Amino acid sequence: MKHEVDPARPVTRFRWTPLRELGAIAALFLVAVPVLGLDRSTDFIIFCIFVLGFDLLYGHMGRLSFGHMLYFGAGAYGITLFAEHVSRNPILAVAAGIGAGALVGLALGPIIVRTTGACFALINLAFNQIGYFLAVVALAKYTGGEDGMSASFARLGPLDFGRKPVMFGFALACLLLTFYFLRRLTASPYGLLVKSIKENEVRVKFLGYDTFRYKWGTFVISAGISGFAGALAILNYAYVTPSFMDPNRNVEVIFASLIGGPGSLYGALTGGVLYMSISNYLASYIPHWEMFLGIALLIAVFRFRKGVWGFFADRCARRAGRP
Amino acid sequence: MLSTLAYGLTIGAILYLVSVGLSLTFGTMRIVNFAHGFIYTLGAYLLLTFLPFSGGHFWLSAAAAVLCTIPVSYLIERCVVRRLYGVSIDYAIIATYAVVLIGVDLIKWVWGATPKPLADPIGIELTLFGVTLPAFRVVIIALAVVVALALWLFFKYTVVGKIVVAALEDKDAVRGLGIDVDRYFSYVFILGSCLAALGGVLYAPITSVHPYMGFMTLLISFAVVIVGGLGNLKGTFIAAFALGILMALTGRYWGAASEAVVFVVMAAALVIRPIEV
Repeated sequence: MKHEVDPARPVTRFRWTPLRELGAIAALFLVAVPVLGLDRSTDFIIFCIFVLGFDLLYGHMGRLSFGHMLYFGAGAYGITLFAEHVSRNPILAVAAGIGAGALVGLALGPIIVRTTGACFALINLAFNQIGYFLAVVALAKYTGGEDGMSASFARLGPLDFGRKPVMFGFALACLLLTFYFLRRLTASPYGLLVKSIKENEVRVKFLGYDTFRYKWGTFVISAGISGFAGALAILNYAYVTPSFMDPNRNVEVIFASLIGGPGSLYGALTGGVLYMSISNYLASYIPHWEMFLGIALLIAVFRFRKGVWGFFADRCARRAGRP
Repeated sequence: MLSTLAYGLTIGAILYLVSVGLSLTFGTMRIVNFAHGFIYTLGAYLLLTFLPFSGGHFWLSAAAAVLCTIPVSYLIERCVVRRLYGVSIDYAIIATYAVVLIGVDLIKWVWGATPKPLADPIGIELTLFGVTLPAFRVVIIALAVVVALALWLFFKYTVVGKIVVAALEDKDAVRGLGIDVDRYFSYVFILGSCLAALGGVLYAPITSVHPYMGFMTLLISFAVVIVGGLGNLKGTFIAAFALGILMALTGRYWGAASEAVVFVVMAAALVIRPIEV
C-alpha cells in the first residue's frame, strides 16, 4: 500500500468478508423486488447464475463457448425428465438437472477442451446444434419436440415451489451458493492455475501441470452451473420448450458477460442484471433489437473491454490511489 | 441412388465455395469470420434485387451481385477484422458475430423477413446416365471445379498466391522478409468473401432466400474446414464434396438429420485428429 494513512480515518476499516459480500448481494436483490416484481427478479437471478457459469469458462479460463445453451438446455430437460420419470422431489430434480449439465460437459469435454479460440467456440456451437436437433426431432418422443412438455414438482415439506415468494427465495439461495462456491474456487490454487492457463498455457504445461485435466474439470463445473440455471428456470416456469436450448440465444449470455466485465464474479452479476434489464425494459422501445445488440457488442469489443464492472473497479482503484 | 449422389455433389460444390474463404482466413489469421455467412446471404439478396433491372437475366445479375459484395467485405475487413488481427481470437468472433447481427437486421429492414422463392434460371433438365438433373445443378458443380482449378493456379503461379501460401506455413517468417502480410490477408479475405457471395447467389434458386440462410451454411462450412484441415485447400475441396454427398444420402433416408450428421463427422474428425494449439 503506497497511500499514507489518514489520521482522521478510524483504524479498523470496513472489510469485505465473504459473508458480508453474500449479504450485500442478497440485500441488493431483495431491494430490487419491489421495483422489478417477484417474477422478474427470479428470472434475473436465474440468468445471473447462468452468466456466472459461462464466465468461469470465458473470463477465468479464457475459453469462449458459443454453445453454452446446450448445457443450460441439458439441465432444463434433465430436471423435466427426472420429475416425469423418477421423482417429483424438487431438490432431487434440481440435482438431476445439475448432473445432466455436468454429464454432457464430462462426455464432450475431452473433445472440446483440446481446442482453443475459434475452434472451441464453434465446436460448442456445433454440439449445441446437435443437441437442439436431438431435442426437437430425434428424441421428440421423450421431450415433446417442438411443443415441449410440462413439468410438475411435489411440495417439499411446507414449501411449494409453485408459489412465487418460495421460488424467489430458493433461487436467491442458489445464487448465493453458486457465488460462494465460485468465490472459493477462483481464490483457490486451482482457480489460480485456471487463470494462468488463460494467460499462458504453454508455461503452465512447462511447470509440469497436466493442463488438460484442469481444463476438463473447469469445463465440467461450468457446464454443471449452466445446467443448474437451466434446471431452476424449469422449476420456475414448470414448462420446457426447445427454446431453452436454442443455439441462436447464445449471444445473450456472451453479451451479458462481456458488458458486465469478464473475469470477475461481480462483473458477471452486473452483466446478468444489465442484460436482463435491457431486454426486459428497453427491448420494446428499440425497433431494431438485433442491430442494437450488434452495435453494443462492437462497442464492448473495441472500446469497453473490461465491461461496466471493470470500468468502475478501475476508477475506484485509481481514486483510492492504488495502481 | 445416383440422383442422390448428384444432388450431394451440388451441395458439396456450394459448400466448397463458401468454405474456401473460411479456410483461408482461418488458416492465415485464425479468425473465424461469422460475417462470411452474412456476405453469403447478402449475395443472394442482391441477386434478387438486380434480377428485375437486368430483365431477368440471371448470370448478369449474379455477376453484379458478387461484385457489389466487394465493397461491403472491404468495409468489414477494414473497420472490424483488421483491428483485431493478433489481438484476441475471442474478440474477433464476437465482433464478426456482431456484424452478422447488424447485417441480418439491415437485410430484414430493407428486404423484409419473409422468405422469397426464386425460379431455376436455366429451367432445362439434363439426362445423364439415366439420371435426370436440372442443368443448373450441373453448372454449379462445374463452376466449383473451375474455381478450385483457378485457385490452384493462383496459389501456384502468382506472387500474391505464393505469399499467402507461405504465410499459411509461417506468418512470422514471411513478415520477416519485409512483406506486409496483413495487406495480402485482406486480399484473401475479400477473395474469400466474393466466393461466399457466389455460393449464396448459386444456392438461392435451389432454396428460398431468407435473412438467416447464411447461419446454417456457415456452420456446416466450418465443419468442412475442420474436417479438411485448417488452411488446407485440397482437404477443403475433398471434405466439401464428401460432406455434401453424406448430407444428401442422410437426407434421403432421414431428412431432418442431414445437418446434424455433419457435426457428428466433425466431432469424429476432432477425436481422431485433435487441434491442439
